[in-house]
Parts: sequence; structure tokens; C-alpha cells
Amino acid sequence: MKNKLLMKKILMYAFIIVTCAMFFFPFYFLIVSVTNASIDVTRGQLLPGKQFFENLKTVFDTTDIVNAIGNSSIVAIGQTFIAIFISSLAGYGFEVHPTKGKEIVYTLILGSMMIPFAALMVPLFRLFGVISGFAPGFGIDTLLGVMLPYFSTAFLIFFFRQNAKMFPKELLEAGRIDGLSEIGLFTRVFMPTMKTTYAAAGIVTFMNSWNNYLWPLVILQNPKNYTVPLVISALGSSYTPDYGAIMLAILITTIPTALIFFLLQKYFVAGMIGSIK
Amino acid sequence: MFNKKTALTLGASALLVLTACGNGDSANEGEESEGASGEPNELTVWTWDPNFNVRALEIAEEHYKQDNPDFELEIVENSQDDVIQKLNTSLSSGVETGLPNIVFIEDYRAQSFLSSYPGSFVPLEEYYNTDDFADYKIKAGTYEDEVFNVPFDSGVTGLYVRTDLLEEAGYTLEDVTDITWDEYVEIGKDVTEKTGVKWMTNDHNDLGIIRVMMQSSGVWLTEEDGETPYITDNESLKLGFETYKELFESGVMNVHNDWDQFLQAFNNGEVATVPTGNWITPSITAEDSQSGDWAIAPIPRQTIEGSVNASNLGGSSIYVLNIDNNELAGEFLGATFGSDVDFYQDLATEINAIGAYEPAAEGEAYQVESEFFGGQMVNKNFAEWTQEIPEVEFGGSTYEIEDILAVSLQDYLNGADLDEVLEKAQQQAESGM
Repeated sequence: MKNKLLMKKILMYAFIIVTCAMFFFPFYFLIVSVTNASIDVTRGQLLPGKQFFENLKTVFDTTDIVNAIGNSSIVAIGQTFIAIFISSLAGYGFEVHPTKGKEIVYTLILGSMMIPFAALMVPLFRLFGVISGFAPGFGIDTLLGVMLPYFSTAFLIFFFRQNAKMFPKELLEAGRIDGLSEIGLFTRVFMPTMKTTYAAAGIVTFMNSWNNYLWPLVILQNPKNYTVPLVISALGSSYTPDYGAIMLAILITTIPTALIFFLLQKYFVAGMIGSIK
Repeated sequence: MFNKKTALTLGASALLVLTACGNGDSANEGEESEGASGEPNELTVWTWDPNFNVRALEIAEEHYKQDNPDFELEIVENSQDDVIQKLNTSLSSGVETGLPNIVFIEDYRAQSFLSSYPGSFVPLEEYYNTDDFADYKIKAGTYEDEVFNVPFDSGVTGLYVRTDLLEEAGYTLEDVTDITWDEYVEIGKDVTEKTGVKWMTNDHNDLGIIRVMMQSSGVWLTEEDGETPYITDNESLKLGFETYKELFESGVMNVHNDWDQFLQAFNNGEVATVPTGNWITPSITAEDSQSGDWAIAPIPRQTIEGSVNASNLGGSSIYVLNIDNNELAGEFLGATFGSDVDFYQDLATEINAIGAYEPAAEGEAYQVESEFFGGQMVNKNFAEWTQEIPEVEFGGSTYEIEDILAVSLQDYLNGADLDEVLEKAQQQAESGM
């Protein structure tokens, strides 16, 4: 009996270790490759080398990665705060306020999730061409232009509405009796109660924004405005790519998202399963 | 805890971020609102590859600045796919804001841009003498009898061979010079048997080698009109498929799946030959330990009448967009890429770029013997072969047809009948056009 249990445990751990190794290996390879020359990376060298500073020099000489990280931060942070505020307001409204025809509007919004972005890109670009004409600050080749289409997204509205279903409506009644305005109910009752949902939505939005590629690619023209994925993509554009340097650039830009994720992990998990304290 | 105060602070900080970048950008925008760049002496270029295209432009800028000190070139670097994506989005939405003055386009894709966006590019014949360039490069950028390109790099091909392995198997460089693909396969079988090293490597999804064979025979995937798919009656393509299968089934072909593995195969000494474009040179010479072991022979030809030992793989040309400042763009390209022999010497010396400009081959940089390639005059050979490359009409759907053919090739390798798979491909290609 005891042996059987032990066997079970061994098998379980073996499985866990193998799975972990599979997930960990790409990161290990990334970190090791950062210290290797390009040719060693293509050879599949698995031990650390001595090329770290060379690679660092290449990255800083050939790209403006610091500036790109700055741009990405502005876009990701700005977009995250505004998008979760606007989308949560919408999701809250859909769930809490009885409005005629709201289900039709909601279905339309959800339906818009089915249209791939690639199909929207040309019309959207055209629209931004027009915007550039009278409000250049929001138009083509601006960071605001990168963020604007994402200020409210169907997914976030859906996410907030689903989570708001579990929000105890009695709290709103209590608030009303205590004399809170409708805005007050949202900011002082709903928002604090849904903290974990906000954290989860924030992480998802931040990461999507940080990794967003297609839209920034078409709308940004001046390299000074480039976000991180564009810089990395350009770095890999060579007929003879410098893999060591590319790996280093990727590592540098992974750090912020990894940090944010680990810091907010607790909330993220709670928010995803929709618990309310 | 969230309360009104934190909510306000959050909102305010988000607004701050917005206004901050809003201001920054509107300042930028003010400078750049007229077309690509507001300055009359400044041009913007979109291109890819920092070590090759970008470097070439920087060298061109240096040369042009000697006579035009006020000239400024703003080089925007993206991957090739990204350049295509950006250009397509801008041109198809008809928005001129942010378009560059100059753009690099790969020769295989040029016709699709020229035919999809008529009037968006400027004819360039008046800025340089097209007779100075290899015909096939000019043809790539010619649409409705007007020349829209200034040719850049020749994608001239060569057969990179490991002479030490050849020797081990009892062959010399002479034995693989000016041969046919049939001879190439036969020698390959022998070398692989005697040395245990594979003869070549390929990715079943990349039909570049078959494109090389077709151009050496002067045909392409479309007929002369650039539109009708040319598959079932294409003898060269058929022969190419047969050669490919022979290489694969006889066990002399190493199969790779991506670019890394391709580079790895020859850097690790796993293959004895690499039949490809001259742009691979820096990747080959990256492996110092193999210095002196390599040589470059002319690419094999097909056993078809008119097939020659010269072909092309890839290569791009430079185009000027029809926006403000296009005269300056034309003059700049004409004075550098279009006619400057010294510029081409620097290109050859600094980045190993072989242009398609005939007079450049006379220069000193082309007479240098390469130690890595056993003392061969690599640049000179490539320049000579460039002039022999047959011209073909690339048409506007090279890669679309090739995607279909990649499936055909798999079917064929799996034992399907060649005529049948090609017949199927022809139908698919026709219905897709």
C-alpha cells in the first residue's frame, strides 16, 4: 500500500518536473543565448558564453530600445487605465441599469469581437488619415493614435459585465439610501469591491498593449515613436540575423511584463475566477 | 482601498500621460505634416536589414552629400514583411500622411505593387541610364513600358562548395563548374557516400531552388503576360520537381525547417554544397574555422535548351513614391545607385553587395581575391554571372503560386503522379487569380 502511494508520488513528480522543464526550457535558452554569439545560438549552444557585453553593445548601437521602452510604457499604461475605466463603466451599466434594448446593443458589441483586426485595419487607417487632418495629435504617427482604437474593447466590456453579475446589488441599494450619487455608487462602491477584476483586466490589457504589433506597425512611421515589438521585429529583419542581440532585446522587454505579472499575480488569479471578498 | 480620491488620482494621471504624449506628438507632427518630411532636402526611406540595405543607403547618403551637403536621409527600418504591410495599408487606404519618399521592394513582389496601385510610383528612366544594368533587373520594375525601379542588389546565385570534402571524394572544383543539375545529383550521391556528409539542405516549403532552376531556363511561374499561371506545360518546373525528388530520395538532401537550421547546416559542416543567392556569403564566412575550405562555382543549369549556368534568387530594387519631393528622390537614386562607380566599390568592399550595375565590375573592389574562398575573385565572378542571368517576367503572384506548389511538391514526394499534381496546381492557381 505504502509502495503504491510512493510510486504514485514519484510518477506525479516526474510528470510535474517534465512539464516544468518543457515550460522552463525556452526561458533558459533565451537567457543563455543572451550571452552567446549569433553563430552559437544557431548551433544550439546550451551553455552560457562570453558575448553578453558584445550583444548589449549591438542592441544599444543598432536600436533605440530605451526610447522604445518609454513609448511602450506610455502606450501600455495610458491605454490600460483608460480602457479599464471606460469598459468597466460600460460593463457595469449593462449589468446594473435596466435599459430598453440593452441586450441588442450588448450582442452587437460582442459580435464585433468576431471581426478580425486585419479586416478593420485599412478602414481604420483611412479614418486616422482624416483625423490627422484636423487633430494631428490623435492621428497617424502619434502614440495617442496607437491607443485610441483600444480605449474600449468588446472583450473588456464583456469581462466586466460577466464579473458584475456576481456583484451584490444590495450594496448599491445601501449606497443609494446613504445618499450616494450614481457616479459615487460606481467609484465608491463598485470599483473598490471589484478590485480583483480590475487587476485581472489591467494585466490582460497591459500585456496586450505591450505586445500589440499590427496596429502600431501601420500607424507609426517615425522610428522615434516606435514601440518595443516594432524595434525587435526590425532587429530580426536582417538576411544574417544577429540572434544573440535579438534574444537580449527580447529579454530586456520581457522584464517589465514579467514584473507586473508577478506583482499582481495574486489579484490576477482571484480576478479570473471572479471571487469577491 | 478605492475611494473617490484614488479614482480621481487614477483618472488624472491617465489624463496627464495622455496630454503629455499628445503634446510631444503634436510637436513632432508639426514638423512632419507635409508628406514624408517637411524639409525640402530631406527624404524618408523604408527598408529592411540593418547590415545590408540600411548600410547601403548610408553609404549612398555619404556619397551624395559630397556634392549636396544639405541633403538628409531618414532611414526607417522594418522587416520586409512589415514594409509590405505598411505600404499596402497606406496605399490601399489612399492616405498620404506618413508615406516615405523611397521604398525598397523585392523584385518578385514589384509587379503586384505596380499593378495594384497605378500612379502611386514615379517612373525613373530619366534619372539614370537603364542600359547600364542587367536586363532582368530592369524588367522586374517595368510596368506598361515604363521603368519604375532603380535596381539594387543582384540576387545572382552560385554553387557554394566545400572543396575539402570534394577532394576527399576524389573531385575538384573543376568537376562541379558549369555542370547540369543531373550531374550535380550524381556527384552528390558519390560525395555523400564517400564522406558521409549530406550534399545539400533544403526546406520543403521553400521552393527557392526551383525558382533558381526556372530562371536559369528563362521561364517563370506565370506566362509572358504576368498573369496566366504557367504550370502544367512548364518543362523547366517539371524537371525541377524531378531533380528535387531525386535529391530527396537518394538521401543526399538534408531537410531543414527554418532559417536557423539552414545556417546551422552549413556552419556545422553538415552539408557540402549550398546552391543559393550571393547574399548568403556573410553567413557562410561567419564560420571562421572553415576559411579556405569553400569555393563558389556557377549554379548548375537544366538539361533544357537555352538554360544557362547563371540564375537569380531574391534581390530587390528601389522605388520612388508619387508624393512631394519625388524629383529629389529620383536625383538622389540616379546619382548614387544609378551611376556612381565609386559607390558600388564601397558597397562591394563594405557589405559584399553585388549590384547589377555593369560598369562597377571594372573597379578594384571587384578584383580582390577572397582568402575564405580559396583565393577566388568572388565579386568579379558574381558580377560576370549577373550579366548572364536570363530575364523573366516575374508577374504579380510568385509567392501565391509557390504556396500552391509547395503542397504539390509534398504530394509528389509522397508518391503522387507528377502530371496530376501539376494539373491540380494549375487549376488551383487559375481559380485563385
